[in-house]
Amino acid sequence: MKITHQINDKTITISLDGELDASSSVMLDEELSKPEIMLFSKILVDCERLNYISSAGLGVFISHLQRFEDAQIKLIFFNMQEKVKNVFEILGLDLLMTIVSSYDEAMTVANE
Amino acid sequence: MPNPVNFKKTFLFIAVLSWFLLLGNILLNHSQSQLSASLAGVSDYLNYILKAAFVIAIFMLQRISVNSIKGLDFIGYLWKLFTRAGITAYICIVLYLGYEVYTNYYTDTNLYLLEVIYTINFAFFIYFIAKAFYIWRRLILFQKTKALDFEWRWFEILLYSTILLSIFRLDYTSIIFIPLLALLALYVLFLSSHLKWVAYLTSGKRWRSIFLLLAILLSQGIFIWYFTETIPETSGIQLNYLDDPFILLAGMFVVTYTGISFLVAFFSLPTSSVFEQKRDDLLNFQRLTQLIQQGEDEQQVYKTLFDSAIKASNTDAAWLEILIDEGSEVIEVLNLEESNIVQIRNLVQSFIITNVDYINGNLDNNIHFKALQLPYKSIYVVPLKSPQLRTYGVLYLLKDIEQGYDRETVNVIRTFASQTILTIENLRLASEALQNERYKEELKIASSVQDSLIPKTFPRDTWFEISCFSQAAKEVGGDFYDFLQLSESRIAIIIGDVSGKGISAAFHMAQMKGIFHGLMQDDLEPVKFMVKANQALTHCLERTSFITSALYIIDYKMRGFFFARAGHCHTLYYNSMTEETFYFNTDGLGLGIIRDQSYGKRIHNMHYDYNPGDVMVIYTDGIVEARNIKQEEYGEDRLREMLAQTYHLNADDIKYAIINDVNDFSQDMPIHDDQTLIVIKFLNVQQN
Repeated sequence: MKITHQINDKTITISLDGELDASSSVMLDEELSKPEIMLFSKILVDCERLNYISSAGLGVFISHLQRFEDAQIKLIFFNMQEKVKNVFEILGLDLLMTIVSSYDEAMTVANE
Repeated sequence: MPNPVNFKKTFLFIAVLSWFLLLGNILLNHSQSQLSASLAGVSDYLNYILKAAFVIAIFMLQRISVNSIKGLDFIGYLWKLFTRAGITAYICIVLYLGYEVYTNYYTDTNLYLLEVIYTINFAFFIYFIAKAFYIWRRLILFQKTKALDFEWRWFEILLYSTILLSIFRLDYTSIIFIPLLALLALYVLFLSSHLKWVAYLTSGKRWRSIFLLLAILLSQGIFIWYFTETIPETSGIQLNYLDDPFILLAGMFVVTYTGISFLVAFFSLPTSSVFEQKRDDLLNFQRLTQLIQQGEDEQQVYKTLFDSAIKASNTDAAWLEILIDEGSEVIEVLNLEESNIVQIRNLVQSFIITNVDYINGNLDNNIHFKALQLPYKSIYVVPLKSPQLRTYGVLYLLKDIEQGYDRETVNVIRTFASQTILTIENLRLASEALQNERYKEELKIASSVQDSLIPKTFPRDTWFEISCFSQAAKEVGGDFYDFLQLSESRIAIIIGDVSGKGISAAFHMAQMKGIFHGLMQDDLEPVKFMVKANQALTHCLERTSFITSALYIIDYKMRGFFFARAGHCHTLYYNSMTEETFYFNTDGLGLGIIRDQSYGKRIHNMHYDYNPGDVMVIYTDGIVEARNIKQEEYGEDRLREMLAQTYHLNADDIKYAIINDVNDFSQDMPIHDDQTLIVIKFLNVQQN
């Protein structure tokens, strides 16, 4: 799992590369737990290279969801592969989180 | 092979018999001094034969008896030689003096008595030489090599062959034999250079051995003096016993070896402490390694290191501290006050790099140390660190002389330190292994407890068949299923999957079972159950965990079922009327994701009327996410395809068909998530 991020003003784009399993979830959790993450108003998660997400990986997003919502930070997933999206859907997360198809769409939704 | 005891008796018998015959013959010769020349020749010859028989018998007797002494008790050997054989020299001198006194006061000379005493003393002498010869053999062959063994055997063969010279009455002083005998004498000198045993004497034993060797030398001196000085040529003795190459050579060997041993033992006295030190080091080293096998604890290992290091370096003051979570703890101290330790440690830490051996042999030059007014002039600091650079503790050694720690000592102590680390690490590994074993046991228990939480048999009824399969990826898992008979015609079936794996998942799974049985007593409809369960889990699920679940309430009178899906895998269904196989694609959020009242909006009740012959397949994601070697997932499509092919079978066979297909798909890949599969087949109600 490789986690990289790109900062553009108030927007941080986090790119996930590989499989988000129990061990790499810890890395992601550390990344999302950093205090400076609260300085952004939009967090875009690029899932183009995310091949697999385990329940632990989902748990990380779920645990931060409420916090971001309270701080009015928008969390948007984009470029998600079909099988990963299916996992989100089965769990019902697609109705809870914003999942869009492309970066442009994500930016549009973020700026609404 | 005859018993050695029999041999002993035989030799003893021969020795005694030949000695008495020898004495008798000699006395007889004296009484009949006017024997004819030919008869005198025969009698003389008989003397030589008897003497040779006696000597050989005594030597053989000693060869057997000394051989049976075992062990490395060198002092014991010497002591035995002195008490059993050396003492005969003094008896010899007493007999001689007695004879002198007797002849001075009562008679002139008594040739018979002289011959008797002379022959007795000869017997003593041979006994002494033989015993010494074979005890020296033991010492020479101590830690023998093959070559040495061989050399000694030849020495014995050559030596014994010289007996032939006297039996055949050949003149050994002739020009032919002198060089040969001289060569043999040189051989004796060569053999006498094997003195390894001396090095193994501790200094206390060395002194005792020197005195014993001196006493043995004295015995030899007495014998030599007796046989050479007190028996004049003119005394009329019939046979000069010592005029024999075998006895001369054996005697020479015994005297030479005793002499050399004495000198070597005496002159190696100053160096013996070095050898002792080395041997102690070795023994301590051995002790350190053996502590693991003896099941000792770390304290014992550190103590052994401390004691060994002090002995090896002759240190005046020392302490050993081991690192604990915060700072360090002094566990062993020698000749130092607590305050001194703190002062020295602070000083040392101020000018050394940690984790490196530090030696200072000139503490006088250090102003700070001098200010402490301690009598020590050398310090050696040894950190106890593993090859992975983990430091376990530090050993401080102090001496009151300059340059007190030479390279040799440092090497020994360093070896002790590394052996200690090895021992400590091995001890820890051993205890960890034990701990792991215990954990495994506990996991086994957890596994069996969890196993008991999952129902093994479903209620059997005529209107449906049910078949279940469950397999955890680890000893315990997060998958669960259960049922509850709500009324005569209604049954609740629940399936669930706790996020994560292992122990934490297993705990939540048990919780979920409790919630199911607790809430369903009130016969809740599925959505109500999910809302209440979500609320209940809010207080006992950590933030990153969630549970997916689906609850089905089947009513066979109504031929229908209600269900709600809380984020769980879609239910697979075969409809026998339409002959379609499909998934119920309903919405529903997992439990524990939203932890407030709004959860109720995220879950929905579904109702479906079933027909006899319909099949419902309920499973967890371990089934559809099973992977093959190419990391492809089994997937919902393959599962649906399997049901489409097997719906006509009974529930058990459908289950086996699916499980076999999943296993064929994933081949030898280990399962990475718990797998649960429940197949329900609805039947026509049979009238009883």
